[in-house]
Amino acid sequence: MQFKDQIDFVRQHISKNKLRVFMTVLAATMGTAFLIVLASVGFGIHDTITKEILSDRKVTEIQVYASEMSQEIADEFKKIDHVSAVVNRQEFNAQTETSFKNMKGNNGIIATDFIEEGKVGFKLAEGRLPENPNEVVVGSHFGQFLLTEEEANGEVEEGEEGFKGYEGNLVGEQFTVRLGDFNGDMFEKDELKLTIVGVAAPPARDWFTDQSIYTNASLIPTIEKIYKANTEVELDDHPDAMHLFYNNVMVYANNLENVKAITKTLKDQGHSVYSVTEELDQLDVFFFALKAGLIFVGTIAILISSIGIFNTMTMAVTERTREIGVMKAIGAKPQLIQRLFLMESAWIGILGTFLAIVISYGVSIIANFVLPIIVTAALGEEDLGGIQVKFSIIPWQLVVIASTISISVAMISGWRPARKATKIDVINALRTEL
Amino acid sequence: MITVKGLNHSFKIGKKGKEKHIPVLRDVNFDVNDGEIVSIVGKSGSGKSTLLHILAGFMAPESGEIKVNGIETSIFNETDNAEFRLNNYGFIFQNFQLMPGLNAFENVELPLKLKGIEKAERQEKVNTLMKYVGLTEVQDHYPNELSGGQQQRVSIARALITDPPIILADEPTGSLDSETEQEILLLIQSLNKNRGITFVIITHDDEVAQTANRVYTMHDGELKEGVVQHAI
Repeated sequence: MQFKDQIDFVRQHISKNKLRVFMTVLAATMGTAFLIVLASVGFGIHDTITKEILSDRKVTEIQVYASEMSQEIADEFKKIDHVSAVVNRQEFNAQTETSFKNMKGNNGIIATDFIEEGKVGFKLAEGRLPENPNEVVVGSHFGQFLLTEEEANGEVEEGEEGFKGYEGNLVGEQFTVRLGDFNGDMFEKDELKLTIVGVAAPPARDWFTDQSIYTNASLIPTIEKIYKANTEVELDDHPDAMHLFYNNVMVYANNLENVKAITKTLKDQGHSVYSVTEELDQLDVFFFALKAGLIFVGTIAILISSIGIFNTMTMAVTERTREIGVMKAIGAKPQLIQRLFLMESAWIGILGTFLAIVISYGVSIIANFVLPIIVTAALGEEDLGGIQVKFSIIPWQLVVIASTISISVAMISGWRPARKATKIDVINALRTEL
Repeated sequence: MITVKGLNHSFKIGKKGKEKHIPVLRDVNFDVNDGEIVSIVGKSGSGKSTLLHILAGFMAPESGEIKVNGIETSIFNETDNAEFRLNNYGFIFQNFQLMPGLNAFENVELPLKLKGIEKAERQEKVNTLMKYVGLTEVQDHYPNELSGGQQQRVSIARALITDPPIILADEPTGSLDSETEQEILLLIQSLNKNRGITFVIITHDDEVAQTANRVYTMHDGELKEGVVQHAI
């Protein structure tokens, strides 16, 4: 029998018992929709939390720690596949003293490659990135922590509002930085004269302060020259010895998917690394377990609905005993009889699944629209702390999983009645009254 | 065409372990030649229907051999039997055994669907046959909308549609009035004469038996050849 004729045959039989089949499809639909909606909550919360983490950090950033780090090693990282930028922020380890107008401060010097910083989006509150050796970007709190001489010497009592710092415009202003040695003794000569061309954006976390001076890496030889000219303490080349600059290397992947692979490559090379994916992995394991649990609970609903399918198919076989007998008598093979009944139960499963998917998407959309309103009203807040909460997400993987479970359960439910149909005795079937 | 040798069969009755064996066929031997109409007559319970069911492969005999065109069918499994029936046998039943959910045309078409024949070819064959058996006007009618004679004609058309060499008929006129019985018998004779189809007819009706070339009589499970009829 051709496949299209088999479908036609099944369709004819289904149309004979529309109400019973409809009720069975409805049960299958409700079971599957319950599974999808339930699991979609797990997917929704996972997505919300993941996005919350990802939006807070540079997700493609991989921090690399090595006892023996240098610009050369950092440059080697650029050759790794899918690396979009390598930023080596070299922090000046010894003492500094900043003189800005009539104010002073202690600001760390960070020498970096602004071309690489530009690739990964060095965020500026105002101004531009440096282009010349003496141009710098200062941290967002640079002005706030500058003190007048009186304030620095403790001659002024701290008022209720605290030290005011410098509140004027920074971009375009010049200032000097005096360097010192590791003991805190400042050098008397060779000051660095720097020009502010930009102010960095404030750190993402409110409690972080940034009063650093971001200079171009090309300033490093000048700083080293000043240091050597002013102190007799030789810098040791030994890895464990104190270095004039501390290398803080960050490797950036071109997208989130490649972070894991790059992290592995760096680890294989013997470096200690950290990326947000390490935390996401643990989070993924937790949510995988949660989603699996929800799918399991949802599957129970489908199993309950399968009782309806089993019942419907058993009734169908009993009612059609004589027809099955006639078909077998005129030459239908047992395999064909079995296939026709399995197709019927599969059809119930497929239609139920299709309707369940449509309904689940509807419920999901409504839940995501209505639930935030209810929750915010219940909490008495205007929003949910700025978090874009998704209560329900139905990814295609969930649709595939639910469809597979639902259609498989429907076919398994129809299996026994279908087997029963193949075992019908032709002679007894032909004697059955209509 | 059909050769039956030493066929024995019994039914088991009673509880498992305490069954009694009731013999229904005892050393049945007979032949059916190509293009013949053979009728097997006997009283109810004589075993004639059991013989037809075993011939058709609806049940397996306890012992004995059945050969159809040299092929031993008594050793077939269920799938082989189904395939063999589809290609070699047509069936006419006493109570027609039409599919109630299919109209006359679709009932006749069913064996062709089972054979996997394309729709266009099926329609052509069914139309031709419906015309031959005089059912064109009622081909869209469902079985419950047809008279007994019309239903039996549909049943005969369904038996003929795959051009089988043999038709097995179990009381083909048992549910019909005498006038319709005559129509059906004439149709059977016509099919035998014009198409050379071999008929094995099970009946308890002497008039039906008279249409056959040869008559066998079944009595208590034993088969004996009866009076040789004139060629029809």
